[in-house]
Amino acid sequence: MKLSTEEYKALEDIVGPEYITQEPVIMDTYNQVWGNKFFFDAKHSVRPAAVLLPANTQEISAVVKVCNKYGILFKAFSSGFEYLSLSLIHSKGILFDLRRMNRIIEIDVKNMRAVVEPYVSVYRLQLEAAKYGLYTGRIGVGYSAGVIATECCHHGCQHTMVFTSGYGRNILGIEWVLPTGEILNMGTGESGGDLFSADGPGFSLRGILRGRTGANGGHGVITKASMKLYPWYGPPQWRQTRQPGEAPSMGQLEKVPDGYKVFVPGFKNLDDTLEASQDLCRAEILCAFGIAIVGTMPFSEGNDEEWAMMQQMMKGRAQDFDPAGGLTIANSVVCVIGYQSPREMEYKEKCLRAIIERWGGKLSPYSNEPRALARAFADMMWSNGVNLRATGDFLPSSSSPDGSPAMLKKLALQEAEVKRRYEEAGAFLTLGSGARMVSWRPEEHLSIGAQGISTAQYDPYDPASLKAAREFIDELFDPRSPFNRFGVPSRGGCLQIEPVTHIHQNWGPRYDNYDKWLRKIKKMLDPNTVGDWTAYIPPEYPDYAKDGDYVLPSYGKAEENL
Amino acid sequence: MAWQDYTHDMQRCTRCSYCKWIPYRYMQNTDFIQGCPSLSRYNWHAYAASGKFNMAYSLLQERIEIDDTFLDVLYKCQMDGSCDISCKVQQDLEPLQLMQELRIKCVEEGQLIPAHMIVIEGLRKEDNMMQASKSDRAKWAQGLNVKNLTGESAEVVYHAGCRYSFDEELWPVARSGLQLLLDAGVDVGIMGADEACCGGRAYELGYAGELTKYAEHHMEALRTAGVKTLVTPCADCYAAFKVLYDKIDRKLDIEVLHITQYLDRLIKEGKLKLTREVPLTVTYHDPCHLGRLGEPWIHWQGREYKVMGQMIVHDPPKKFRRGADGVYEPPRDILRSIPGLKFVEMYRTKEYAWCCGAGGGVIDAYPDFATWTGAERLREAKAVGAEAIVSACPWCKRNFLDAAQESGEKIEVLDIIELIQKAI
Repeated sequence: MKLSTEEYKALEDIVGPEYITQEPVIMDTYNQVWGNKFFFDAKHSVRPAAVLLPANTQEISAVVKVCNKYGILFKAFSSGFEYLSLSLIHSKGILFDLRRMNRIIEIDVKNMRAVVEPYVSVYRLQLEAAKYGLYTGRIGVGYSAGVIATECCHHGCQHTMVFTSGYGRNILGIEWVLPTGEILNMGTGESGGDLFSADGPGFSLRGILRGRTGANGGHGVITKASMKLYPWYGPPQWRQTRQPGEAPSMGQLEKVPDGYKVFVPGFKNLDDTLEASQDLCRAEILCAFGIAIVGTMPFSEGNDEEWAMMQQMMKGRAQDFDPAGGLTIANSVVCVIGYQSPREMEYKEKCLRAIIERWGGKLSPYSNEPRALARAFADMMWSNGVNLRATGDFLPSSSSPDGSPAMLKKLALQEAEVKRRYEEAGAFLTLGSGARMVSWRPEEHLSIGAQGISTAQYDPYDPASLKAAREFIDELFDPRSPFNRFGVPSRGGCLQIEPVTHIHQNWGPRYDNYDKWLRKIKKMLDPNTVGDWTAYIPPEYPDYAKDGDYVLPSYGKAEENL
Repeated sequence: MAWQDYTHDMQRCTRCSYCKWIPYRYMQNTDFIQGCPSLSRYNWHAYAASGKFNMAYSLLQERIEIDDTFLDVLYKCQMDGSCDISCKVQQDLEPLQLMQELRIKCVEEGQLIPAHMIVIEGLRKEDNMMQASKSDRAKWAQGLNVKNLTGESAEVVYHAGCRYSFDEELWPVARSGLQLLLDAGVDVGIMGADEACCGGRAYELGYAGELTKYAEHHMEALRTAGVKTLVTPCADCYAAFKVLYDKIDRKLDIEVLHITQYLDRLIKEGKLKLTREVPLTVTYHDPCHLGRLGEPWIHWQGREYKVMGQMIVHDPPKKFRRGADGVYEPPRDILRSIPGLKFVEMYRTKEYAWCCGAGGGVIDAYPDFATWTGAERLREAKAVGAEAIVSACPWCKRNFLDAAQESGEKIEVLDIIELIQKAI
């Protein structure tokens, strides 16, 4: 749906003609993202009515007021590397592309925090913060993700959560354009002070801002945020290098930087791996933690090179891929420790080795050679990027992080079993060994939960693979399933397109009707429902099929009703 | 391959946006981490490689048409290939080849950029991209005692290219390059007024037929001249002769070298001696067409299939061009061999070098964007403390000179030939 001349003019007057467009050619580049095929059965989601490139908070505030006046939906995004960051519930909606708001406003070394605008990426902040011996957490999706998107709006899960926490727990203050257009400074910012505490003495709205999973653009735009930083034990600068003639994808650190050590223990089975993981995380000695199969594997230029490498490795290292053979790479984890003194390193290493021994783990030479450890370090601390190359797309399992560690372990094991069924049918990428793999991302030393996911890599343009992917998610998201799980499946993590997956509709009644409260909050903040709710909470539930059918039951219906 | 043949790539672009940046592993200074001039200047996602995949897919599905905006987005791009390199760090996709095919489609359908039409009209009449008279082509070499290979024979042909032949301010560089070869005793000649455009730039504009025409012309002309080696001081020409001719199955059966490769060889053989001190701090700008785009073409024919359940692979294995086999070391080796010279690298180098701004027809159609891009590179050169930026292509030199004048950046702009001349 196009905006009327009056509506467009009102928006154009605020940002200027150079920074607004309703050209179909350009707007159709704002609705094509990985995952769309799964949800919308097409590469394209709804085409926005206009896209804007605002320069500052005042412009966004003014535009949002216009949206309220004319009933125009809005959503803001930074990198846009998520289907839910661009999807709109109907086409009378605009997108804010925040790439012009890209300043690191301050790195406050003394107080270990940084103030950033939305387009500042995680890796960029890491490069700058390292100069001062500081570090921000690594986000799962990779180095290009926005710091604010990660902490304030969406998911925010990472391998460094044992050290830096995650899921928005590092927010120290924000500047927030509410869906009414009002500008809210939270916490100390609200009282006129600096953004050093989101909890007071002014408003503390951290839970409402995002809670576990974020509102995914559903209740306004965060235009500035102050984030907690953590110690960086490594050098202020580093270089990733490669041999002459090698492709850029082969670049890596030569060794783990001084100030850090990496260990990759392997265990007999997944059960032991998860038990050992709990002990490792609770020992409060780690800077990062993850599964080894992603982190330590040699880089390859492309799929063909990777396949050749895999074939070679399977010949020479069969025991690493066959669970019947004892240690498997699938049951290996990466442990990164950082230290300021030799004594600190000695203590942490001693703890770590004792836990490995307790669970019968071993440090295999393949996974613990210096270059493998260096690769693992980079992946855990910065991310080597999301591997969508192998099959074209991936799906995390339902990965609810809301339960106890014991429940999460049980759930992760169950989900891995489900995934294995699809792998054996050839629908997903598989190592062919039947190995179960779980990416386990414990939060705050596993004191308050973890994200355990079984990532399924599927081909969205292979009908059988796509069908299997949808069935897989149906199984995991079905509240009537035999899992007897606790926790709402990945609401906001990766699989929430509310008009398709009906998470709140299906799971709200099972958990104290949390969805009703969520809706009240949304209504309070957004009385005219102009903040797009595609990945948040709808003003009312649609009267369509829900359980057991998560593909396209309602998407696009709202369009018909306009 | 036609543009529709890249449907797989259009579907599988994930919008990771890695194409917008240099590969993150090589980021050093956060002031210089952008990789794509087009996106950096115009901001909209469409201007990035990912946006081109999106546009193509929408076009394929008839959701959009080729209109002025489409052309604007497609052509405000230097075709420098930085996006292609960054994309391929993570993906097996071909963004640059798709962009090339989209341009060819536009031309085939008569969707043309007026400024380019003028250039192509000149090319068709006068065999050059500079809208100059063909008869003036050899003026740059007047007074040099050099063979004309239309009547004489030599081992090596020196192909100056359109920019050097008609940009009078750059003639001294072209002459010096040739003189260096003569002084080293190389049996070298030129084609004089009969030298023709390589056709490479026209191809980048989407005029595929011009490349075929000039490739066939050169195959014949060089065969007749009986030369064994073609040496050119122009990176654009190098990429056309070396890469594009091969791509369209018109590979020359002689050795094709950029002058930096040849001079480096002469220096290492002791035939050129760099003895004079050149007390200057310089940085080297990798021309796109010598670096990542100078990587030889890799032919592949086969099929896609799956292993390990769903992993997409090829039979036979498909080697993607990821830029690593471009010409990077010979110019650097030359700089390192100049006495007294201090050579410093910029933050964006080799495969992920920032473009000078001139390529892809931008200098013809969008000169302000060309100089904006060039000025960004000069800023980077200054940031590493260079007193001079050195390149190895007349298009780079021209655009940097223009950018320096427009932006007021105080930095010397040199071709590597000029530095060698100073050192002899």
